[in-house]
This record gives sequence, structure tokens and C-alpha cells, in this order.
Amino acid sequence: MSRSYVGRNIAIGAAMVLSLSLARAADDLPKADSILDKYVEVTGGKAAYQKHHNEISKGSLSMAAMGLKGDVTSYRADPDKSLTEVDLAGLGKVREGSDGTIFWSINPMTGPHVKEGPEKAQAQLTSRFNAELNWRDVFKDAKTVGADTVDGKDCYKVQLTPADGSPITQCYDKDSGLMVKMTMTAQSPMGEQTVDSFVGDYRKEGDVLMPHKIKQNAAGQEILITIDSVSFDVDIPADKFAVPDEIKALVTKK
Amino acid sequence: MRLFSGAILAAALCGWSFAQPALTPAERQLNVASFEQVWKTVRDKHWDPKLNGVDWQAVHDELRPKIEAAASMQEARDIMSDMLKRLKQTHFGIVPGEAYKELEQKDESGKSNPSDGDPGLDVRLVDGHALVTFVTPDSPAAAKGVKLGWEILRIDGKELAPGLAKVRAALGSPMLAELIETRSVIERMEGPLDKTVEVEFLDGNDRNVTLKLDRTAPRGIETVLGTLPPLHFWVDAHKLQPDIGYIHFNVFFEPEAVESAMKKTMAECRDCKGFIIDLRGNPGGIGGMAMGLAGWFARQSGLVLGTMYLRTASIKFAVFPRPNPFNGPLAILVDGCSASTSEIFAGGMQDLKRARVFGTHTAAAALPSLFAKLPNGDGFQYAIANYISEGGKPLEGIGVTPDREVKLTRHQLLEGQDPVLDAAVSWIHGQ
Repeated sequence: MSRSYVGRNIAIGAAMVLSLSLARAADDLPKADSILDKYVEVTGGKAAYQKHHNEISKGSLSMAAMGLKGDVTSYRADPDKSLTEVDLAGLGKVREGSDGTIFWSINPMTGPHVKEGPEKAQAQLTSRFNAELNWRDVFKDAKTVGADTVDGKDCYKVQLTPADGSPITQCYDKDSGLMVKMTMTAQSPMGEQTVDSFVGDYRKEGDVLMPHKIKQNAAGQEILITIDSVSFDVDIPADKFAVPDEIKALVTKK
Repeated sequence: MRLFSGAILAAALCGWSFAQPALTPAERQLNVASFEQVWKTVRDKHWDPKLNGVDWQAVHDELRPKIEAAASMQEARDIMSDMLKRLKQTHFGIVPGEAYKELEQKDESGKSNPSDGDPGLDVRLVDGHALVTFVTPDSPAAAKGVKLGWEILRIDGKELAPGLAKVRAALGSPMLAELIETRSVIERMEGPLDKTVEVEFLDGNDRNVTLKLDRTAPRGIETVLGTLPPLHFWVDAHKLQPDIGYIHFNVFFEPEAVESAMKKTMAECRDCKGFIIDLRGNPGGIGGMAMGLAGWFARQSGLVLGTMYLRTASIKFAVFPRPNPFNGPLAILVDGCSASTSEIFAGGMQDLKRARVFGTHTAAAALPSLFAKLPNGDGFQYAIANYISEGGKPLEGIGVTPDREVKLTRHQLLEGQDPVLDAAVSWIHGQ
């Protein structure tokens, strides 16, 4: 969950995307590939990423303005299998997942849903394991488009354009090289929503330095995700990423 | 600050009125600060940057001297309420601090008073008369023989009619009136479990009957969602007749319970001739549940019930079709106590021509609103979004007009009839 570019779009359809007008890149800005590669380097290095093939992250999610809290568990496996479960008191369990082919969600409020089109393209990004390491495979273009200040930290803004879907903008701390903010446009049948994600509290999990707090602002709501634990290379049951029957029924119907 | 959905807050806050003590200079200053907070919040947070065409700065300049001169809390509230009324929109209001304190106590504990209960009656206002429309089986009211159609005249010795007339006059519009008046009657019967409530009825023979009714735990389970006041939730789903599916739930909470009830009923009702969703008395709740409920009755992807507009975003209420949706006739039952998510669902399905709506006009209160505490201790409710149904009309202030208007009558209730339900059943059988 914490290591994908767009994997924090956990709850209730909140997600992310870019829609800010981007500043023109100045000549003295560092190249995007050096910024992105530096991120991999400062968070553990290529070898540290490559030695893992799956992970389980556990934590919590809260929407303070509404007084909502819940538990979050995310399972991810190489190359693009995922399952995220958010259990919110009073709302029930929201699930999103992928077996690498079918990208789906089941929400007790809105029902089961198979992602198609731009929403599916975005889910494919979300589900990509080690996306930060493999950004050259995930995005067709990356360029530095300006500089910004996030929570008092000067950062470089990098615009990443996927093969399919709208670009994502990420801001990397000029000093530490760590990503501090991501802006993107969440795609869903409910429309496009700009999502700003502020990323912080980097701590080591094994050999990899990972963010443990993600604050998302979307549609006037603030969502705080806190990661409590991350386990790598766990024996995840094979059926964990299996497509649920409700989703199979929808796929068959189509 | 708390997010309250639809009319739940309005319903919870009805019936408050307070004395008007003189103000100290400090209190006057707090009222001015409150006025400024209200004015700025609307300016900055209202979904429409043009504020419904109101010259907001002019309103400020006109009323600021008045708030500075306000001699009582009530006068200050009236001035702030006047400011909000200029928007000509519901879900903008000032709540007396005493009422707000009451809400806060409930919120802090996370639970309502566990001793609270009711005698087991549901009520609707029919032409200004509070009529019993449901008696919970095995409740104290049932044990004392209370029947459908009985009119409630007094509660604990206090005559209802003058108070209800006052509420209606204060509201100045029939919109929301039925919801608020109904809630005020029901809440007057609520109270500690160890105390009785004395209710004077007009029975089926037009005789006055006064009963001391015990209270019992409210129907259903207590449910808590975030900082919203706790509510009791119940769902009733079954085959109404051998060939009609039926679901009735009192509030759009507990999504998993509603989903489970729908699954069960759908499994039993795959070949039913029709389906009825009864939203009478349902004040709304979680807006997203309207999308999920609609999915049980939609084959086609890409349908939208309507769109909610915030200042910085818009959210489509998309319908997510279920694997095996019900394709037969769908009837939705509504009344003046159906609000918010109920209106979003009923209005959207009506616009999509997927359902026929029966009953009376809905509460016309569809907007999500926030609730903030002001420096003077009062509460301030303000809407953060507008909602336009798929047919292009705002539900707020307009509501859903049934395709077939069917009003309750005392006579029919006394006969044990439910004319709204009967009309829906008849329509389904005629398809």
C-alpha cells in the first residue's frame, strides 16, 4: 500500500489524480529521472526493492471531520496483485483488489463494481508492485515541471504521465530526496476528483525506508492513513487475490 | 465541526426555544464574532461562489451595526438567522447554544442516554393532526391497546395542536414542516425507561382516551456513525404478498444490514411481479447508499441518480448495477418525512423512469451540511453542497413529487388500511 504511486486511494472511492496547472520547467531543475532514481536510492536502493515479492501493510484510517475511524490492511504481490480492506465502524468493510487482470471494488454502500476504462488504468497503476523502482515501465513520460514548498520543505515537482490516463504530479524534497506530496485525479463512475496526498513519517521497514503517514484531501474531506506495520515476503494464501464471486458474476454478465 | 446528513440534524433540533437574558459587553462581542464567523463561512464555504446571487458584502454591511447593537441573545440569533435567510436555502441556520450543548453531550459520550425509550408508536401529521401510523408489536402502546388512526391530542398534559401550529408558522413553508412537526411529537413521547408518558388520544370512536404508557427501548439496534448523534436502525424486508418483494428501513445507515436484507429478499423474490421500497419516515443518512440500492434495480451501466456540487468538486451519484438486478416494476413509497438520501434515491429513480413514486411530497431537504460551534456558544449549520437530480432539478427546497399522490386519512388508518401501500400493490398488479 505504502509503496505504490497511487496505492493510497483506499477508502470510499477516494483516490487521486492530477489537475493542477503545472509550472514550466526551468532550465536549472534536475531531470525527472535523476529525482525518481534518487528516491529509490535514498529509500533503500534497487537491491532492497528487488529482493521483495510481496508485502502486507496494516494500519488505520480516519476522517476526523466526520469522526470516522477504521482499520486498513493491504496485501500486494509482484507484479500487480492487490487487495486492500478498509473496515470502518458504522460503514462496514470496503474492499478493492486485483488478480492482475480484473480490477474491482466491493463497497457495502454502493455494491460490487468492476473497473473499466480510465478507472481500470488507474487501478493498474495502483496495483503495480514496486512501481517506484519500475517507473520507466509504468509511465511513458516523466519530467520536472517546477518547484514548490510543502509543509515548509522545498521540493521538485515531477509530472508522471502513464500510457493510459491522466498525469500524476509528485513533489520530492530537495534535500532528502523523499516524496512529500502527490497530486492526481481519481477516476471513477462518480466523476473525477482531485486528490492531494501529503506523505511523511518515513521509517525503515526492513531495508526500505517507507512513509507511514498519508494525509489525503479530496472533495473537501481529509483522510489520514497511518501505517503501523509492514511485512515483506509473507506466505499470503493463493486465494487472497482471487476475484470474489460477486465480481465474477458481474464479469460474466458483461 | 461535524458533518450531518440531510434532515437528521434538523429533525434532532426541533422544538427548542429559550429565554432571553440581558447581555454583558463580553457577550455582545462574542455575538459580533459569531456574526463574522457565519458571514465568512458562507462566503468561503458555500458551494456556489456567487452565493445564489446575493450581494453578501451588502448583507454584511447592513446587518453588522445591528448585531453590534443586539440587546439579547435572541436578537443576535434573529439577526444572524436573517442573514442566512437571505440565501433562500435550507440547511443554513443558527441553533441556540442550549440545544448545541445537548448535542455535544451526546456526541462526547458517543451514545445516547441508554435509559431513553419510547412507548412504541410512530406518528404522521395528517392535515395538522398527529395520527398513529404504526404500533410496535409487543410494545407498551400495543399492550394498552393503542390502534392505528388514533389521534394524539396531549402528551404529559400538554396540548399538541397549538405547538404544532406555532412550528408550522415559524417555518413559513410546508417544506420540512411535516418532518419537524412529526419529530417533535415523537420526541415528546421519548424519555427515561423508568418513567411513563401520559398520552391523551382520540380513539376510533372519537372518544378521549388517556393512557399512561411505559417506555421501551426504541425499535432496532443503536447505530453510531462518526460524530452523528446515535440513532436506532431497523430494517423490515419480506415478501409482502406471494409475488411482491418489500423492504422498509428507517434510516440510510448500516449499509451491510441493508445489503444483507436486500440480498435475502432478492433471492426469495427473483420471480416476483414487483418490488416496493418503503422510504416513508426515512430522513436519509449515508448518501452513497442510494447508489447501492439503485444497483439492485438497474441493468445498465452508466446511469446516474444526480450530481452533488461542492465548491471544488462534483460527485455523480452513479448507479452500480448488481449481478442479477430485479427488472420488474419498482414502486417507491415516500412522505413528508422522507428526506435527503431518500429523496436522492426516489428522485433519481423517478428521473431515470425506473420507478413509480407513491405517497406525499417529500421533505425537500437533500443537502449535506456541517455543524460548527460559534464563539457565543450557539451552533451554526451550513450546507456544503448542492444536489441536482438527473432530471435537472434541485431537490433542495423542491423535493420529490410522487407520480401518484396518495394521502393517509384517519378513516383508512382506523380501518387498518395503508392506502399508499395499497396503491403501489395495485399498480404492480396492473403491470
